[in-house]
Amino acid sequence: MATTGADTPQALDAPLTGEDAARSRDRLQVQSAREGRKRWRLLWLLVGPGILAMLGENDGPSMIAYASDGAQYGIGFFVPFIPLLFLMAYVCQEMCMRVGAVTHRGYGELVLQRFGRVWGWFGAGDLTLTNLVTLIAEFVSIRVGLAYFHLGVGIAVALGLVLVLFTLSGGRYWRWERIVLGMALFNGLFLLAAILVKPDISAVARSLDFSPFPGGSFNTLLLLLASTIGATVTPWMIFFQQSASADKGMTPRDINHGRYDTAVGAVLAAIFGIGALIAGAALLTHGGSGIQGFAGAGFPEALRRVAGGAAGTVFALGLIEAGAVAILTISASTAYAAGECIGVSHSFNSSPRNAALFYAANFGVALVAAAVILIPGVPLLSIALNANVLATVLLPVSLVLMVMLANDKGLMGPWANKRSTNVIGIAVIAFVGICGAAYGIDSFLQTVHLVGS
Amino acid sequence: MNSDPADIAGLRNGSTIHASGRDRKHFEDDLVEHLERDQFVAVTSRPVERAALSARTITGLWALRIFVIVVSLMVIYTFVDQLH
Repeated sequence: MATTGADTPQALDAPLTGEDAARSRDRLQVQSAREGRKRWRLLWLLVGPGILAMLGENDGPSMIAYASDGAQYGIGFFVPFIPLLFLMAYVCQEMCMRVGAVTHRGYGELVLQRFGRVWGWFGAGDLTLTNLVTLIAEFVSIRVGLAYFHLGVGIAVALGLVLVLFTLSGGRYWRWERIVLGMALFNGLFLLAAILVKPDISAVARSLDFSPFPGGSFNTLLLLLASTIGATVTPWMIFFQQSASADKGMTPRDINHGRYDTAVGAVLAAIFGIGALIAGAALLTHGGSGIQGFAGAGFPEALRRVAGGAAGTVFALGLIEAGAVAILTISASTAYAAGECIGVSHSFNSSPRNAALFYAANFGVALVAAAVILIPGVPLLSIALNANVLATVLLPVSLVLMVMLANDKGLMGPWANKRSTNVIGIAVIAFVGICGAAYGIDSFLQTVHLVGS
Repeated sequence: MNSDPADIAGLRNGSTIHASGRDRKHFEDDLVEHLERDQFVAVTSRPVERAALSARTITGLWALRIFVIVVSLMVIYTFVDQLH
């Protein structure tokens, strides 16, 4: 590892902090399970960051994006495309987990310290911008879900903020992680919604050959690609999983379990994402109705008319869950980044008194997003739909720096990237970069009338 | 300062600190046993050494950075234009 002063006795003679003590208790459980050869217990203890990153990214705008794809184009092409994207996400997130487990440091602080303050602050700036926009979209998602039950925007704001406060109240990473994990499993509601619309299973099987390819203009196709990629891999996931892996206390011995955690998260997220796609596809033969009503009850209401009350209700509950879980994980990633870049305590294992900025940033960013959706006349629909695209456009820089960290033998030692991981990682960056840039440039040229639509 | 990868591997293969100070309280010793040496807050709060990036890498990063900013501005411009 790069010289840090880490191995000096002076560093180790410093008093133990509450954060050390809390993490040590968690590690005691892991050590006991490992020594007792309790495989399932060990897996249970070590899962968390990967599943949360993947299911957290199955957020409100993402599920709306999948459902919109289904409603406008049907399930063809997207059924195999969504798992392919989550395979890409796995490649990126595995690197984050590995770097976090080996260095015990978050992405923001490593970029800032290893590559310089400019790159650290650029990354934090990208994250803050995309997180704020995405958080607004999450509150919109909760609002859409609650509107189905005739509940107003005030309830959506209160629900989101109370959840953030509640999960922050324990002063332990373990507690925060388990609560959010428990909530995240309800992302499975989208699978239930798909079952309730009674899909044609043979049509689902036939779509595995990437056909029929979505029609429409070149720009529409680029928008679909950019927003679907943005629904799968985003800057906040990179910050979150590396920081959460370090905060959880993962070590190189846990890397294989970290891989299982990330893989399980990717598989679940792909299945539930396809669930939203199939549920949305029930609207296909009805002209994709309901999409324009997104700012109101939108999708759930349209689904109720086409597939029955149960499907609409389940989809509405799914949107509430997707928004709520994402508010918690995205706020956490913002808080990690703020603490890491400013250089103050940044752990759920620290008390609010010892990590005031971490807790303030966690709640503050959710509060700002909540305040925006209370402003009358704010174009919530446009914000929600553009959140994923902006994340896709800003993603390549974060990914390049992540690959550089994962290749840094001074930091990673024998756990640095292998050549095959680099080849796949670079291919993912190129694909994401080209899709995002192509959409951004083509849309701009159309807007300024330099090319026809 | 230790920068030998083999030594690092040894450090990170689960080696722990068993008693870093005889005058420490017993319960602290117990807790210390379960954390790796470089997991302590006292250690992680010290910055890692700055990497020496080549001129080509720095140029590439800046080129990507500027490109991403330009495309982001295009997306934001398009978004604002669509609002009207």
